Amino acid sequence: MTQKIIQMCHVTKAFGTKVVLDGLNFNLQRGTVTGLLGKNGAGKTTLLKCALGLQTPQSGIITVFGEPARDLSAATKAKLAYVPQEVTLYPWMKIRQIVAYSRAFYPRWNDSLIERLMKDWELGVEERVGTLSTGQMQKLSILLALGHEPELLVLDEPVASLDPSARRQFLATLLEIAISGDRTILFSTHITSDLERVADHVVVLKSGKIVYHDELSALKDSVKRLRIINARALPATMRDLPGVLHWESTDANAVLSVDNFSPELPERLSREWQAEVTVEDLNLEEIFLELHHG
Amino acid sequence: MDPVLLFQINPSSGLPIYRQLMDQVRTLIGAGRLTEGDMVPSVRQIAEGLQINPMTVSKAWSLLERDGVLERVRGQGMRVLAAAKVRGTVKERQQTLQPLLEQVVAQAAQLSLSREQVLAAMAAALKELPGE
Repeated sequence: MTQKIIQMCHVTKAFGTKVVLDGLNFNLQRGTVTGLLGKNGAGKTTLLKCALGLQTPQSGIITVFGEPARDLSAATKAKLAYVPQEVTLYPWMKIRQIVAYSRAFYPRWNDSLIERLMKDWELGVEERVGTLSTGQMQKLSILLALGHEPELLVLDEPVASLDPSARRQFLATLLEIAISGDRTILFSTHITSDLERVADHVVVLKSGKIVYHDELSALKDSVKRLRIINARALPATMRDLPGVLHWESTDANAVLSVDNFSPELPERLSREWQAEVTVEDLNLEEIFLELHHG
Repeated sequence: MDPVLLFQINPSSGLPIYRQLMDQVRTLIGAGRLTEGDMVPSVRQIAEGLQINPMTVSKAWSLLERDGVLERVRGQGMRVLAAAKVRGTVKERQQTLQPLLEQVVAQAAQLSLSREQVLAAMAAALKELPGE
């Protein structure tokens, strides 16, 4: 079976003159939990929608489980689930009814999982959809996406409206799904601390292109901030140094962030610039900011 | 005690979670809380208990296996190997302290402390060390 659940090749999507995805390439590997990061307007939602064939790009090739995204078979659709940022569900239905309604679309459905989650997530079966808060609506739409145990689960800002305890419950459920085996999860988020906990891979979208896609731990290992103190041979500009994301310098001191850190680097710089070099580990939020300088 | 409780991680630290886990296994062995032959919790137990991604845990365990700290026991999980191998040479153990020392040096520079003043502070802190 294919190891690439989603493949996007040279995808360009523009709305009018505004280019949102700019010749983007992306492969989603089977069995990964991938977090998608990007500033507001970076194109995260567009990427997710194009990936599932919900929007049509101007050019490029997209496949899901090996099938063209715009022309998925019913069997493939039954293997995936998508939770959009904002959900519209029939407001007159009770939760019990909307669960039964969604259930009817799929060949299999995990009743015990849904019952348990409804209890854990404090969704009352007799409540009407129209009376739910934004957060409760988000919980309900996530829940409805899990019933058929999709092999591929795509979520757009799933935790945006959830309170901290609901967020933790949701993350625990995601992990439970990830632990249970052959499942692939792709989600966009602004909350880097959640991503740090549950994701094994991270994708950073910037100006319509993917500027980073690798294991989260590799990102943390390779992006570091270096403090250069009392340098006697600081170069006039650090722009030409490979891997520099951002730098600031005054006289004999400098702070620079790099995306190609290796344990030898501080020693080398210390020798070449005759300076004291200290290394700072960065968390994902700080890395995100470093990747978006300028 | 639930062995998962021996571990604690901070996902928002700059140190990748797999490294935090690796460091903690080494520290627990160093402190004698894990000894030769002890089984470490499974990937699943750690992932569920600490609510972290299972691939992160298996990465930590595999690297510790590569380093000769843990060994895989068929059908049972991972077991702590002879503790002697873990302790390493003095130089290797000093190396572990290096990142912390660099932070101390940087902070000391910000605080305009002299070399002697830093060493004095360090000597005072070392009094807390058992066996000193």
